[in-house]
Amino acid sequence: MSTTNEQTESQQAPSLREKIRRLRTTFVGKLPQMLQDIYSLCDRLSGDPANDALLADLYRMFHSIKGTSASFGLKAISQEADLAEALVQRLQAKPGNVRGGLMLQLKPEFQAVVARLESLMEEAEQAGLEEKTAVTTSFDMSTPVHKTNRKKIYICDDDALQAEQLGEQLACFGYNPSIFTEPDELRAAVLTMQPAAIVMDIVFPVGASTGTELISELQREIRLRIPVVFMSSRNDFQARLDAVRAGGEAYFTKPMRAIDVVETLDTMTNNRDPEPYRILVVDDDPEVAAYHSFILEQVGMTTRLLHEPELVLDVLADFKPDLVLMDMYMPGCGGRELSQIIRQIPEFISLPIVFLSSETNKNKQVSALRVGAEGFLTKPIQPEDLISAVAIRAERMRTLRSLMVRDGLTGLFNHSFMSQYLETALAGAQRDDGRICFVMIDVDLFKTVNDTYGHPAGDQVLVALARLLQQRLRSSDMVGRYGGEEFAIILPDTDLDEAWQIINGLREDFAAIQFQSGENDFSCTFSGGIAAYPENERSEQLREFADQALYRAKQAGRNRIFRSGD
Amino acid sequence: MKILVVDDDPMAGMLTGAILEDSGHEIVSAENGVEAVDLLEQNPDIALVVSDMNMPLINGIELFHTLREQQVTLPFILLTGTALADVEQQAPGLDGCVMKDAELADTLPAMVQGILAGGH
Repeated sequence: MSTTNEQTESQQAPSLREKIRRLRTTFVGKLPQMLQDIYSLCDRLSGDPANDALLADLYRMFHSIKGTSASFGLKAISQEADLAEALVQRLQAKPGNVRGGLMLQLKPEFQAVVARLESLMEEAEQAGLEEKTAVTTSFDMSTPVHKTNRKKIYICDDDALQAEQLGEQLACFGYNPSIFTEPDELRAAVLTMQPAAIVMDIVFPVGASTGTELISELQREIRLRIPVVFMSSRNDFQARLDAVRAGGEAYFTKPMRAIDVVETLDTMTNNRDPEPYRILVVDDDPEVAAYHSFILEQVGMTTRLLHEPELVLDVLADFKPDLVLMDMYMPGCGGRELSQIIRQIPEFISLPIVFLSSETNKNKQVSALRVGAEGFLTKPIQPEDLISAVAIRAERMRTLRSLMVRDGLTGLFNHSFMSQYLETALAGAQRDDGRICFVMIDVDLFKTVNDTYGHPAGDQVLVALARLLQQRLRSSDMVGRYGGEEFAIILPDTDLDEAWQIINGLREDFAAIQFQSGENDFSCTFSGGIAAYPENERSEQLREFADQALYRAKQAGRNRIFRSGD
Repeated sequence: MKILVVDDDPMAGMLTGAILEDSGHEIVSAENGVEAVDLLEQNPDIALVVSDMNMPLINGIELFHTLREQQVTLPFILLTGTALADVEQQAPGLDGCVMKDAELADTLPAMVQGILAGGH
């Protein structure tokens, strides 16, 4: 263990209380990973109940959470971990070969404890976030309504101006940057509160490798990997090697494009969380269905259980699963008939259906496949086999679907999907007395950008705008590229004035983004028009009035947002 | 004084270390019993051992017994997450047993102080 003597806010070595507070923050930051480890242990145990070593590991995890959180004064977490520990001890008392039954019996209780632990951990993390404010400048350009949870990024560069410019750009893309010009400041901040990622310069006045050295040291000290990106004017092999050894995930030579850094950060910090796979589990036996859904939910999938086959069509329309996992034999209506019914609805013709059955007769399996089942799994199935069988098919479904509905350059939805979605959204709003805004956006003078800076620069602008829209809007908002430099957005549950606030905020942020092309820096703007339901009832009207408003915004001098009626 | 802290959980070890450093002790830390025995050989000036109870490979009480078998008579303090009723029987001659709780920052230094003053 090494101690540090860096100067702190109080200008002296940190007090014990301060040290404990920092350690506590670090501990709280590690809780989610511990919970993941617990989940994966449980997962392996459910397939291998007699494995004493797994059970011992699980016991120690809870025991250690119990002890350490008690030491840090996190009493509630400690108590729950104590309960979980006691449950594991009950399992340990049983011989391995008869443990399965007790495991099933204790499962609900165990799940409840782990769920409570999870929510307590989240609370503790949230409390930790509120406790600590950003150390220096933070550029909060969020729009009030659609503010998402911004990821904290530490930028460390002795060139304050460059760091601030980069910070401003990252803020435009939905990150929460903090700037440090001194390596020691960064060190103190990381020890206090760990960011989602660090963007680190290498050359500092104190040394030509200060950046990589500091990061190596920090990674060792906190034993928790923080994603790091290095940036440097150095482009020699040694600097790059040092960066790799320090755990750097990317290396940019200065001057770099902010958009490239954003793209790397997005991947590293998973800024666009993939939506969990949605799996519908159809089984007339509630226990079996619950067991399968438990396995799938442990790896982060969302499941819905259905015990009455006759309700399948309603549930499909409501839940919109990526895959259906179905028992082959059910009283009333068997799996084969049920899948035939599903396949007769055009919308669900490509929905993967996987049968689960104790049927080992190959002929019967083949006949099930003939009616359109994607796969056939034999019960009892190992949890890992079930997970991979489901995940592979669900992922393929997603990919296929996205190829059909997404624009190649920006990854946004394409024109025909947006039109289709608008109809669906309108039908929903009519039914629920809801509201919808339809927004059309057009990049100003895009042709000039292409002509002046070339098409790659133009593409860069479109990709940046797509990213900005995707990141800053809610997941329920639909963003599409309508063609060329034109984009469309569907905002559910939003009225005309709210929509104007949101889109106008995005307009301001977009105008602040600096693009680079060769030696030249340039920026771009967009204009927008908004129309609302129920003011306009039909989709053609919405499109037409949004388009007219957009036209007026252009006429009025561009770089502005007009509502229909403005 | 130099104190050996044994804990398989790095966070818990760091916390224990920070508390003891604050009362002016120098800390050597080990993540398991094997490492602890090695460090004791390399650092003959270690004056006291503080060990977690629940660890893989060798737990705290086993470590205590191992050391005593090897004629290492250094004071030994056990840290536990659970109150141990029968710790006296399990480990006769143990110098102290401290619960891991929010008061650790007070109870541990006090016990260390008491033991070191007791003239071991």
